[in-house]
Amino acid sequence: MKKVLGKIILVAITLIAALAMLYPTYKANNLEKIQKEYLAKAKQAKNSSDSLAVIEAFQKQYGEALMKAKNSQLKLGLDLRGGMYVTLEVDVAKLIEETATKQYVDDTFMQVVEKTAAEARNTEDDVIDIFLKNFNAIARPKGKSLISYFDFGNVRDLSEEKIIEKLRNDQKQAIDQALEVLRQRIDQYGVAEPNIQKQGATRIVMELPGVSNVADMRSLLSTTARLEFKLVKNNRQIVEFFYRVDNLLKGKLEPVVAATDTAKVDTNKVAKADKTKTTAKVDTTKKKTDSTKVAADTTKKSDTTDPYAGLPKEEAAKKYLSDHPFTRLFTTYYMPPQKNANVVPIYYTVNQFPEGEYMFKIMEDSLPRFKEIMNRPEVKALMPAELAIAFDAKPDPRFVEQNINVFDFYSLKKEPELTGEVIVDALATYDPSSNLPVVTMAMNADGAERWSKITGANLNKRIAIVLDDRVYSAPNVQSKITGGNSQISGMSSPEEARLLEIVLKAGALKAPVEIIEERIVGPSLGEDSIRNGITASVIAVILVVLYMAMYYSTGGVYADIAVVLNIVLILGILASLGGTLSLPGIAGIILTLGMAVDANVLIYERIREELHKGRSFKSALDEGFSKALSAILDSNITTFITGLILFYLGSGPIQGFALTLMIGILMTLFTAILITRALIDITLNAGKDTISFGEKKIKTIK
Amino acid sequence: MQLFDKTNIDFVSLRKVFINISGLILILGVVVAFIFPPEFGIDYTGGSEVAVKFSKNVSTDELRNVISNAGLKNAEIKSFGEDNQYLIRVKEFGDVQIKIESALSKITNNTFTILKVDKIGAKIGGEMRMQAFFAIILAIIAMLIYIGFRFEFAFGLGAMIALVHDVFVAITFIMVFNALGIMDLEINQSLLAALLTVVGYSVNDTVIVFDRVRENRELHKGMNFIKLINLSINETLSRTVNTVMTVVITLVVLLIFGGPVLMGFAFTLLVGILVGTYSSVYIASNFVIWYFEKIKKQDLETGWINEKNKVKTA
Repeated sequence: MKKVLGKIILVAITLIAALAMLYPTYKANNLEKIQKEYLAKAKQAKNSSDSLAVIEAFQKQYGEALMKAKNSQLKLGLDLRGGMYVTLEVDVAKLIEETATKQYVDDTFMQVVEKTAAEARNTEDDVIDIFLKNFNAIARPKGKSLISYFDFGNVRDLSEEKIIEKLRNDQKQAIDQALEVLRQRIDQYGVAEPNIQKQGATRIVMELPGVSNVADMRSLLSTTARLEFKLVKNNRQIVEFFYRVDNLLKGKLEPVVAATDTAKVDTNKVAKADKTKTTAKVDTTKKKTDSTKVAADTTKKSDTTDPYAGLPKEEAAKKYLSDHPFTRLFTTYYMPPQKNANVVPIYYTVNQFPEGEYMFKIMEDSLPRFKEIMNRPEVKALMPAELAIAFDAKPDPRFVEQNINVFDFYSLKKEPELTGEVIVDALATYDPSSNLPVVTMAMNADGAERWSKITGANLNKRIAIVLDDRVYSAPNVQSKITGGNSQISGMSSPEEARLLEIVLKAGALKAPVEIIEERIVGPSLGEDSIRNGITASVIAVILVVLYMAMYYSTGGVYADIAVVLNIVLILGILASLGGTLSLPGIAGIILTLGMAVDANVLIYERIREELHKGRSFKSALDEGFSKALSAILDSNITTFITGLILFYLGSGPIQGFALTLMIGILMTLFTAILITRALIDITLNAGKDTISFGEKKIKTIK
Repeated sequence: MQLFDKTNIDFVSLRKVFINISGLILILGVVVAFIFPPEFGIDYTGGSEVAVKFSKNVSTDELRNVISNAGLKNAEIKSFGEDNQYLIRVKEFGDVQIKIESALSKITNNTFTILKVDKIGAKIGGEMRMQAFFAIILAIIAMLIYIGFRFEFAFGLGAMIALVHDVFVAITFIMVFNALGIMDLEINQSLLAALLTVVGYSVNDTVIVFDRVRENRELHKGMNFIKLINLSINETLSRTVNTVMTVVITLVVLLIFGGPVLMGFAFTLLVGILVGTYSSVYIASNFVIWYFEKIKKQDLETGWINEKNKVKTA
């Protein structure tokens, strides 16, 4: 027993590891079934609030487990689950056309641009090079130079080189800008698990599983982004509106909502950035009593009695949450006008709010309910007509490190003060005096004039920079800005500054993208493919297993066990590597099945040969395993090399095939050599003298 | 069970016959390529392809009619897997899907579902073509280097000639089967993946034989060179047949049950692997014999002169 203990452990560990790697997939499947039941229930609910409550209940009970399971489950490729795969490319010819100054563009220039666009469609050459070539051929003989068409306003010593440099730079940034805009839009559209990536210098590749409304998606991808400057009105008016929404909702009985806890934690996390939930709860209650004091302080003269006085802390917290069905979803802070004063958390216990600036933060979990309530007609009726709520585009970076997504939101004046067309350029740089990241922005003459009026009238107020209804920054106006050159500071990182630069350029640069590749797999074909794949795999496994067992007898059965283990291992490793299983991937596994037994065939044939030579069983076994090794290695390494080449040069599903092939080869080496040997040794140790390899019985020598 | 028991088939003496057969097939391939040029899929040409499933039977003529009325000329229409499933292909790239959908909705008494859409811009198609070409060349060179490194140069060259042979024969079969209408086989990405796998697998087979030659060379020093090769092929025959059998089983299953998407892939692999087995016996080994006989001017009767003696058995 001792001799083979290690081998038993080896087999057992392999089996356990394989199953453990596939467990998240199993779990995710189960949870998704439960999720479907909940979604069905939610659909039957009478109103959107009830259905949201059902979804929230699911989130509360299973949300985290589902997320975890999904992260390490075996993902199916678009060809199996259905969806849309798109490659977008920056339309550089269009970009050149947009960058040229409108008033100077003439027929000659358009001729150059059109010829460039036509040529660019068929070659891989750099489009700016093509443009320059055509410009030299067509426009230059007519006495034109690049300077005749491009005017960047405040650039000193404009030269052709500078124009070309700017075009190249714009081309680079257009892709980042398009990427940012598309990410936000896809996110808002609600595609589950999208995969959006930059490919090379001018392309974006997107995988959008489950997207079936192609027309919608296409318009989403092709419309240009809208950049606006809007006044921030986080004032008493909006806070009072929130208070009224609470009262409005209190009239109706709300279903007990699971999200209350997160709202509670939320309050505290924002204020103290505390990590542990348990202490968070206690703290919240503490603060609640504190805050009532604050409220009481500010309303000294009014007669309001504290409704929470005398209540135990837990009770007070509970009562607060049930009394404030809307405002408990987020946290409100008052920003005192004095410099360096701390922000004060505000509670909606009494309808007495000081004048001045406020700040609102909301956890991602609470967003759907917040939006649902804001969308109700009776709530909309209460909303001040000239205001609209807008959310930050990115979660607060200070909390992201702790894996908490907290968003700022704002009440903005609906009418934009200015739209993005007036922006000529933007640049992320460092302030020479403070060495902190800043973004500078330049406007054209018309924009500069209006900007100076706007900034002059709104000193010490905030103006939000809004792209596609998402707020990217809401800087405070520190002085009247004349001449059109502004500097925005307060970025927490150079990355944040770079993002703002890209966003600001959306005004000047319309980042035209075009779809150059589009693949859509309908859900029915995906289902068919899964069915075909499973049928083919099962039949292939059965046939190969039978063949091996017939031909190599007991040895064949061991090889079969190894092969089945091999398949489970391939799937498990694929899952834990975060790879996706595509239809060609399934083909790769089926192929591996045929090839995996090859190693065993080599070993067994060798053992048979050695037995024929008259060796004893033991030594034939050893010889068989050791002498077949070099052939096994050689044959598998060559297939592995082609797999590697396919993986690097193929795309999409082909990469899936290559990946399963490569994993399959590695696992084959492991299972066919080590696992079968272990199984044989375990059997021999259990008392058997020999194992049949299906060889002809010529054993006369003992 | 044992199918082959100490076989002693003379593979080598017939080498000239088989080399001629292979040569003929290759010449045929070139001729076929001119008469029925291989059909490239939209992966490599650019264009659009829409697969639809109808609830009831539709004739291809009717389909062609409505689509051409929608302004998409020269549409190709093929059946796709099951009955009432069609693949519509046009050269255009743009709002093709919408045009086709509105055209198809004009067919009365029938409903349809879009199974899949592929739209490839001409630029991407061109890039993929280059990539495919590059991938095949790279794979072949990698094999040459690996075998040359593990064995000697002559073996590497033999393996490479065998696998180039396999790829060409497989492509010839693809062209012929496609032209005769037996199967819908256009050269697309999954076909390329199959061809590359053939490259890897063909070498695999060859390596097994060479590995045995290497071993026997040490074991039977001074043995007649041709006999040595023949012995090695015979000794590995059982293994060769068995491995091919298991792989062929899986590929036939894939061909029958894998559905329309994988059909070309499975067929290419099947042909490639069968040819690969043949070539490892008849092409690769015979090339090595030819090489030592004609280039190295060795007397094959007296046995192998191992100049480098660098190879040792494990």
